[in-house]
Amino acid sequence: MSQPRALRQPALLRISSAAFLAFWCLVAAFPIFWITVMSFKAPVDAFDANPFNVIFGPETRARGKGLSTLDILAGLTLFYATWRIAIGPLPRAVREWSPGGQVWIGWIIGALVTGLAFVVVLFGVLPPVMDLLNGIAGPLGRDVIGLTTEHYHTVWIERGFTRNFQNSLLVTTGVVTISLTFGTLAGYGLARSGSSLAFWILIIALIFRALPHAVLVAGYLPVFINSAEILRPILGDAAPTLYGKPAATIAVLVAINQPFTIWMLRSFFQNIPADLDEAARVDGCSHFQAFRRVIMPVMWPGVITTGLFSFLLAYNDFLVTSLLLDAQNQTMVPAIAGMFNMETTTTDQVVAVAAAVSITAPLFLLVMIFQRQIVSGLTAGAVKG
Amino acid sequence: MKFRTFAAFVAPSILMMLLFIAFPLVSVLKQSFYLTQPVYEMVEVETCTPGFLTQTCVTETKAQPQLDEFGKIVTTTTFVGLQSYQNVLEFGRVKAAWAKRSWSEFQTIDFWKALRFTLTFTFITLPLILGMGLGIALVINNATRALRGPVIFLSLLPMIITPVIGALSIRWLFIGDGILTAGLEWWLERDIAMFAQAWTLELMMMFYRVWHVAPFAAIIFYAGLQTVNQDSLESAVIDGASRWQRLRYVIVPHLMPLIVFVTLIHLMDAYRVFEEVVGFSSQAHVISLQWLTYDFLVPDQAGNRSVSRASASAMLTMIGIVILLVPVLRRTWRDHRGGH
Amino acid sequence: MKLKTMLAAGAVSLISTGAWAGCAFENDVPIKSLSAGFEAWKAVTDAMAECGNVEAELDQEFREKQPSAFEANPSLYHIGGVANSTMVPLLNAGTIRPLDDLVEKYGQNLTPNQLIKVDGQTMAIAMMVNTQHLMYREDIFSDLGLEVPTTYQEMLDAAAKIQEAGVVEYPIGGTFKSGWNLGEEFINMYIGEGGSFFGEGNMPAINNEQGVASLEMLKALTEYMDPEYLVSDSTYVQQQFQQGKIAIANLWASRAGAMDDEAESQVVGKVKMAAAPMGSAAPATTLWWDGLVFATNMTDEEADAAFRVAMEGIDEEMVKANNDTAVWLINGYEPGEVAMGAAATAAAGALPYPASGPMGIMHTALGNGVAAFLTGDKDAETTLADIEAEYTTAAKEAGLVQ
Repeated sequence: MSQPRALRQPALLRISSAAFLAFWCLVAAFPIFWITVMSFKAPVDAFDANPFNVIFGPETRARGKGLSTLDILAGLTLFYATWRIAIGPLPRAVREWSPGGQVWIGWIIGALVTGLAFVVVLFGVLPPVMDLLNGIAGPLGRDVIGLTTEHYHTVWIERGFTRNFQNSLLVTTGVVTISLTFGTLAGYGLARSGSSLAFWILIIALIFRALPHAVLVAGYLPVFINSAEILRPILGDAAPTLYGKPAATIAVLVAINQPFTIWMLRSFFQNIPADLDEAARVDGCSHFQAFRRVIMPVMWPGVITTGLFSFLLAYNDFLVTSLLLDAQNQTMVPAIAGMFNMETTTTDQVVAVAAAVSITAPLFLLVMIFQRQIVSGLTAGAVKG
Repeated sequence: MKFRTFAAFVAPSILMMLLFIAFPLVSVLKQSFYLTQPVYEMVEVETCTPGFLTQTCVTETKAQPQLDEFGKIVTTTTFVGLQSYQNVLEFGRVKAAWAKRSWSEFQTIDFWKALRFTLTFTFITLPLILGMGLGIALVINNATRALRGPVIFLSLLPMIITPVIGALSIRWLFIGDGILTAGLEWWLERDIAMFAQAWTLELMMMFYRVWHVAPFAAIIFYAGLQTVNQDSLESAVIDGASRWQRLRYVIVPHLMPLIVFVTLIHLMDAYRVFEEVVGFSSQAHVISLQWLTYDFLVPDQAGNRSVSRASASAMLTMIGIVILLVPVLRRTWRDHRGGH
Repeated sequence: MKLKTMLAAGAVSLISTGAWAGCAFENDVPIKSLSAGFEAWKAVTDAMAECGNVEAELDQEFREKQPSAFEANPSLYHIGGVANSTMVPLLNAGTIRPLDDLVEKYGQNLTPNQLIKVDGQTMAIAMMVNTQHLMYREDIFSDLGLEVPTTYQEMLDAAAKIQEAGVVEYPIGGTFKSGWNLGEEFINMYIGEGGSFFGEGNMPAINNEQGVASLEMLKALTEYMDPEYLVSDSTYVQQQFQQGKIAIANLWASRAGAMDDEAESQVVGKVKMAAAPMGSAAPATTLWWDGLVFATNMTDEEADAAFRVAMEGIDEEMVKANNDTAVWLINGYEPGEVAMGAAATAAAGALPYPASGPMGIMHTALGNGVAAFLTGDKDAETTLADIEAEYTTAAKEAGLVQ
């Protein structure tokens, strides 16, 4: 694509633009990069005041845990390969193999497979191969950077973090599905109705969106704990105790998330010409059929974008999940906050850092895969105030 | 669309919001006018607690709540009108401070201290986020196509990361001899304690918020930039408009609805700033309105919580938000009526 | 990391979770417990879990849930972990049961010291005590020829000499994080001065000489602390010790073990324990206990099982395996080096933390209010008057003050 001559930029502008971009990328990535580095070091190194000690980890290396130049090269190659696959063959394979209309299932499966393969190669295949290679590589095989995965081992295997992971998976899946189902219905209704009622519903939803959550959540706790007693007159002995149940937490998160979801989806629906459903109605469809058969298929970019925001809310939530779930059903974020709040030792803190980095990894993957959909979704929706 | 169809479409969503937002909200409103207390009686109690080797026993008169025949605490609920609001707003102390024309004394009153910070925080971060967001969007749009993917990916990281963890990671960079503080100390050749005074804390909290939200603004503006009408840009070039003029008169007006949208979201989120206070443990120096509500609400170790004051402070926070939103709401109302 | 070690570790952890390995009986009644999440609780609940069918919830924010969870019928948890102060709401609401019959049946191994009695009835079983006492760098003290301080004034003098000698930049560490920690520091100091918190009808009574003296001393200490003292909690002070940044602190006994942890400490063997400094009336510290309570709202069968399981959790075997995790009150505990500070403090006549409903409110008001004096925003009298006003508002709202 060639630009008109007049739009071409002077060198100074180009350089400063590139410099600003580089600066921003550094600022954006640095804190996350840094906790990742910390999570791989012995406690003494992780909290060292000298940044070079944190990066090279002399104490960690002294304990015989380290990476050689060769290891680093191999690791980087693996990351690069994964990246290439994620942006090239993976989307293609997904498009080819998934049944029409259900592309998103394909994406989820594709992402899981890629992620799993990455983990298996990184932790399963590389270590023994590299052990062998380091032995024969001479100086290149000597450790240069201290690095230990023991904290990840503590988190995932000794502390049973997989259970929290499953709980998170359950809660986020529930929240995303339900809030999108309810949200698309309401968003469509609101977009297609010009009544004052619709307007006021939107305004009230907007004010709900602005409420401080601390107030709402504290109100739930006593009701949820005593729900068996409260509901007994109506439901008899089947009355459940809602406290600690993932389903109840999902309901709360869906409700809290509804205002944003319906606003966002409504503006997507508004960008779909009303002629489209009117045409369908002329062909004899009911409103609901028009919605399902005609409108939804062109709504996917909007649904994916909104879904991603729902996902982030559910996955990252702390206030609701920490208060309403018991230990057996606890999701990852409150579990990590618990690790930090405990009477900790420095080792515990680094373990918690490792847990924090672990829960960021799925988010990485998600953004890597859905990045294009988000941008194109937002472009198509051109969110309106 | 007929009302019944409309109702069927919105019902599930409305039901959820009624049940989990509107209903608790009404009860909060009610609680802010009422006071529910246990009925205490003074009783003499002997308590024996362990020492290192032997027990210590103390007999003292203690206030103990009465229990009814079912073993539940007897409580009384009284209507107190605006008393709880008065307890939060503390007009008596406001007047005293006003009489002395003392800003610092005024700022020792929790609610006003929290309000001051909440407003400063909201209105300082707002232009920063809009500016950063627009800047990032423009430079991404300016970058070569091959770079855009990775750059967008990096830019999105601060937005997607779990807020609790994002705040902690920035905290570690600065606390004690954290590497950035150490770096600053080395550069400025002086001792720096970022967590020791209010203004540095506020600076860090704002930095965190901008870091966290700017990507959201950037990605939305970037999406908006993709739909800028190339024809009007080119005709602006033909008219001899400078780069700055094109930005000012073509691009920004095009992005205006998005700028309003981001402003709206940010006003709402920044006004209930909370994670920063907890993440940076700033409560000794700086508190926010939602933190104040939360602090009233969290039970102390003996189980007391100030529910009435929490409700009052929550309602005050909400009134504040509605006032902030009024300009936007009026605009939406005009659009709505104009749409007919 | 080697794949083989990873697999091996996985296998080991599978074996160790095998049920009732170290339990005298096999429990078949499902039992749930809710307690705080620190090391000692982990040790105790792990030992309980060996009996089978035990679900332990370790949650640092347990106090938000515990009162309402025990009030539910049936109670959501059978066993609760409490300390002096967190037992108050349960006791007030009558949601924990008297234990005399159960103690008689299954409590042969308990010492009389462990039985928390309220009006003669056993309401809780204590398992450990905790207190803040002096920890100091013995190497620095002997290098400079300093005596171990016994009062805060001596501590200040020692700190001045250490700073002068340039050994460390900030000699004193303190758990001064605003909120609960800072409130506790004031309470320690005020009790040391012999002050009493309440007058007639639960009215506050801290705006007095002792109160001012306590504030002044806290401020004097901060002169020798890292300027970020208002965010420093006990984990932070512990790290400062481990990294050799401070020389002396009044820190929790439960933290003493970490000083000699080779994996993270750079001062192994150099930190010694001593009694808490004396105030003008008593040691400037408070004694805390942690223990177990049992819900009222459960069947007698469940109560039986819960109590038996709990007894297995706090038996000799557990203490032997975790001797230095806490200052245990349980038979079979052998006080080691690290317990010396706590023992000396108790021997000097340290008072228990005066837990009560009003005290909970006072603690919060102090925790939020004292910082204003330390930062110089208010003078001592205004600070104390404002704390009293804050207390009165909250206590009126709670119905404790008319």
